[in-house]
Amino acid sequence: MGVSNNIKYAYIVARVRAMKSKLIPREMYPKFLNMEIPEITRYIEESGYKKDVDELGKKYRGTDLIEHALNQNLALTYRKLIEVSQDEANYLITEYLRSWDIWNIKTILRGKFSGVSEDEILEDVVSGGQLKYRDITEIVKIGTIEGVIASFAKTPYYKALEGYRGDLARIENALDLLYYSNLINAVTSTGNKLFLKFLKTEIDLKNLKMLFRMKRAGMERDEIIKNLIPGGMELKESDFVRLASLSMGDFVRALEEYSYWNAISDISGELTSLRDIEMRLDKYGLTYASRISYYYPLSILPILDYILSKKIEVDNVRIIVRGKETSLPDDIIKAHLVM
Amino acid sequence: MVVDAGFIAIGAGIAVGLAGIGAGMGEQAIGAAAVGAMAEDEKFFGKGLLMTVIPESIAIFGLVVALILLFVFGA
Repeated sequence: MGVSNNIKYAYIVARVRAMKSKLIPREMYPKFLNMEIPEITRYIEESGYKKDVDELGKKYRGTDLIEHALNQNLALTYRKLIEVSQDEANYLITEYLRSWDIWNIKTILRGKFSGVSEDEILEDVVSGGQLKYRDITEIVKIGTIEGVIASFAKTPYYKALEGYRGDLARIENALDLLYYSNLINAVTSTGNKLFLKFLKTEIDLKNLKMLFRMKRAGMERDEIIKNLIPGGMELKESDFVRLASLSMGDFVRALEEYSYWNAISDISGELTSLRDIEMRLDKYGLTYASRISYYYPLSILPILDYILSKKIEVDNVRIIVRGKETSLPDDIIKAHLVM
Repeated sequence: MVVDAGFIAIGAGIAVGLAGIGAGMGEQAIGAAAVGAMAEDEKFFGKGLLMTVIPESIAIFGLVVALILLFVFGA
């Protein structure tokens, strides 16, 4: 990375570091468990979410208010990152945040597939990518899945959607494959090796999560391989074939060969809950992003670290609030938090 | 001699000029970072300003070398 590139990243990285210092501190989450929902709302209001809570306070109450405020804040934060960055950083952030477009498309399609109301679909929408909230609300009004898919005809995502024949899982997988292959191409075109390394690790972690899920669901070997995303750091396509053919116990033992084993070494293939395994892998991803962002302080990595940390913060607050609303015991809520 | 005085003056000029360019190169990344941090939080103004002027010491070293050249060797 040349001197001029370092200077370009200096501005955005300093800004992102300042933004990261305003995230909810890790030690606050156990304290949230002892608070009631109005107290948590007040804390959230006094932190970085004030504007969002005030704005949405007229329309929503209680947990719905927090949920909407979190989603709006997340979307605005990501949009801000795109607006304040320049050149390569701007391009890479924009491409990376397209994952939220994929998330929104999946949310709309799933909602339509299961006949959920428009408001309920919009509750889960986070317009952090290139699709604007206004456009999404218009798309949500369309009654049929075919109509929704047709509305994406002019977007790059149509390539994955046009093959829809009533099988939602297949196009969801196609969307993921399209996103990652486009992102790998975009990152490769800039020659940013640090981002590529981060991305390949992210793909590995995603594949591991999917492998656990699909094995638990008892899916066939070929079906598992079809759903995995190529382009990972350690899990190559030859590994897919090998890991997909193993039984759950052998699969867990086979993972000892990979560096991700440290994150999940104490799990038992059959007994540990899926959420527990996914939480450990998420935590590994977060720690990894944070660690390498300190190795390369003037690069894209601190920005990616912030993007991940912000998402984890929103997820954690949502888990606590929803858990409290449904009167879940504190230890179960705590077990679901990524800290 | 006039020629010696001329070389000394050129040397002093190069010392100040190069030191200034070096300080500027150092300051541009720090300045950009300071502005970024201040855009998020005004409290970073003092720290940002302090960090930005640290490379300025290089320019002062250049000036000192120039003054030595002019007044010690040029006298």
